[in-house]
Amino acid sequence: MGERSFDIVIIGSGAGGGAVAKELAPLCRDGVRIAVLEWGPKLAEHEYTGRELEMAGKLYVDSGGVFTRQRTMTLAFGRAYGGSTVVYTGTSLMIPERPVRRWGVPGLEWSDLRRRSLKYLRENNVHLLEEERLNDNNRLFFQACTKLGLRVEQFPVNLKGCQGSGMCNLGCPNAAKQGTHRVQLPAAEAAGVEVITNCKVQRIEGRGLLRAVVEKRPYGLPSLWEPGEYLIRARVVVVAGGAVQSPALLLRSGFGRHLPALGRYFTAHPALILVGEHPRPITNFYGHPKSFYCDHFADRGFLLETCMYFPFVTAKNLIGFGEEHAQLMHRMDRLQMILVLALDPALPENRVVLDRDGEPVVEYTFSEPVLDALLESMKVSARIFFAAGCERVHAPAGEKFFIERTEQDRLDQLITRRRLQPGRISVASAHLMGGCRMGAGPTDSVTDCWGQVHGVPWLFVADSSLFPNCAEINPYVTIMAFADRVAEAVRSRWREV
Amino acid sequence: MTPLSERQWRFLLSLGQRLVPPLKDLDEEGLARFRTIIAAALAERPAAVQRQIRLFLALLRLAPLLRWAATFDRLSAPCQDRFLRWLQDDAPGRLRQGLWGVKTMVFMGYYGQAELAPQLGYTPCRTGNEMLHG
Repeated sequence: MGERSFDIVIIGSGAGGGAVAKELAPLCRDGVRIAVLEWGPKLAEHEYTGRELEMAGKLYVDSGGVFTRQRTMTLAFGRAYGGSTVVYTGTSLMIPERPVRRWGVPGLEWSDLRRRSLKYLRENNVHLLEEERLNDNNRLFFQACTKLGLRVEQFPVNLKGCQGSGMCNLGCPNAAKQGTHRVQLPAAEAAGVEVITNCKVQRIEGRGLLRAVVEKRPYGLPSLWEPGEYLIRARVVVVAGGAVQSPALLLRSGFGRHLPALGRYFTAHPALILVGEHPRPITNFYGHPKSFYCDHFADRGFLLETCMYFPFVTAKNLIGFGEEHAQLMHRMDRLQMILVLALDPALPENRVVLDRDGEPVVEYTFSEPVLDALLESMKVSARIFFAAGCERVHAPAGEKFFIERTEQDRLDQLITRRRLQPGRISVASAHLMGGCRMGAGPTDSVTDCWGQVHGVPWLFVADSSLFPNCAEINPYVTIMAFADRVAEAVRSRWREV
Repeated sequence: MTPLSERQWRFLLSLGQRLVPPLKDLDEEGLARFRTIIAAALAERPAAVQRQIRLFLALLRLAPLLRWAATFDRLSAPCQDRFLRWLQDDAPGRLRQGLWGVKTMVFMGYYGQAELAPQLGYTPCRTGNEMLHG
């Protein structure tokens, strides 16, 4: 078994781990040894092919289809140098004041998160796409929302040299998206941080002692370390494996014994992909896929965003099968798509637990308000599709496969709650949050407002698992702001540990 | 070891043709890709999940005996569709989820073939911005 020793070890290299690595990297000048241990591979540029199944297999855990225990929702999260920042669309929103105030975490102020978020918006080249870069799928959504009097905003995006491949969720083949794999990690490495890919941390054995294994993969650049088992010592450990893997690692390592909230209060922004069909081809898979969002219904529990997915993902998100399904699927160039995000509350029973092999399993039950929100979102989306010019719409809770334009006055009868059965419709999530929530004390939270695990001065968490409740927006900028706070805490405390 | 027996593959293909009718138009290469994609996806799953899928396929084949006194593959196409629709819309949760899983597998085998993308009207390119305005 190989042995390694560092001052600070960061587990995970996504929005949280990547940001912490860069913020702490200047310490390397003073001889501080810092490592990032990343489970996933670092792909060579030529390996970003944009092929759906191939890239899903290389960049996501279980190809992006991790089931909840109830088998009613699939979870998509990245596993790569850069974590999920490799496979998101680059939308970069700053969290509004309202959710932070609602969280009520002592010591966590919106103004502080705002200041830190602004830093990352600058660092990641966040800007609005020029109008001529917007495709029909996006423009039509904006126009329809405006026509219907709905509040609609343009997404700022973190792109540099975007060529509009539309393949953001498969890892940008043009290296345009400014995730941590393009910005923070290379900067950290240049300053002396070691990033070890293909390295899965299995367990925290004791105070600052990690057991990990480096795997050999048939793709990606070789890891800095030879394949095999490792024992790694660190004075400070920062866990940043995301809302599924971070709670799982801490549970495997026995921290659940004195932290009853560990793994609990998991939220996910459960999402539906909805489609409308235009009578003629529109530009949808050309250009950036996600330019607008509508938060008009946030108080009613959902957000709407533009999106454009790939054939297999689209097929599995339509309800039904047979001729109608195939007919719609063979008109990909006519489809307008909307992504619904339900704003789900953090409930203690929705949680990450371990199976017999110590692997994470997410237990998630849809609450009634979430199901109500999903139902209403389908009706609102149908109205938007028709206002945009679609001739027919597919709603997963529809009484029939297609709702025709002539039927748009009967949406309440045609989209019904009895058809909204979990397990019948496809619900997916890519905004996984909670499980190591921040809070005042160990009875109902896992860390303090600086990400330090309650009662464990050498252990920090810096990722989406810190959210005390759902973000109500795309969470990655806020994760970076959290990580920035964690880095500040580590910087000031690590020598005392 | 292949995760499904020859008989199970044949059944999956006939079931798949009800779920994705254009599957019957695939040439030999397309069918081979269909099988390769599904076999690879199954191989990545734990043995217990593979067992569940084999079991569910057997159940799908035999369950229509109760109502139609014939196995799924001997039913007429409308009866097959009616049975699948019942599974999707009205069956108890586990059965519904089982169908969802099999359907997803078939969709992956067909719509996951990049070679078929042009037939779907899906022709992305790396320089999509150039295609935006005619």
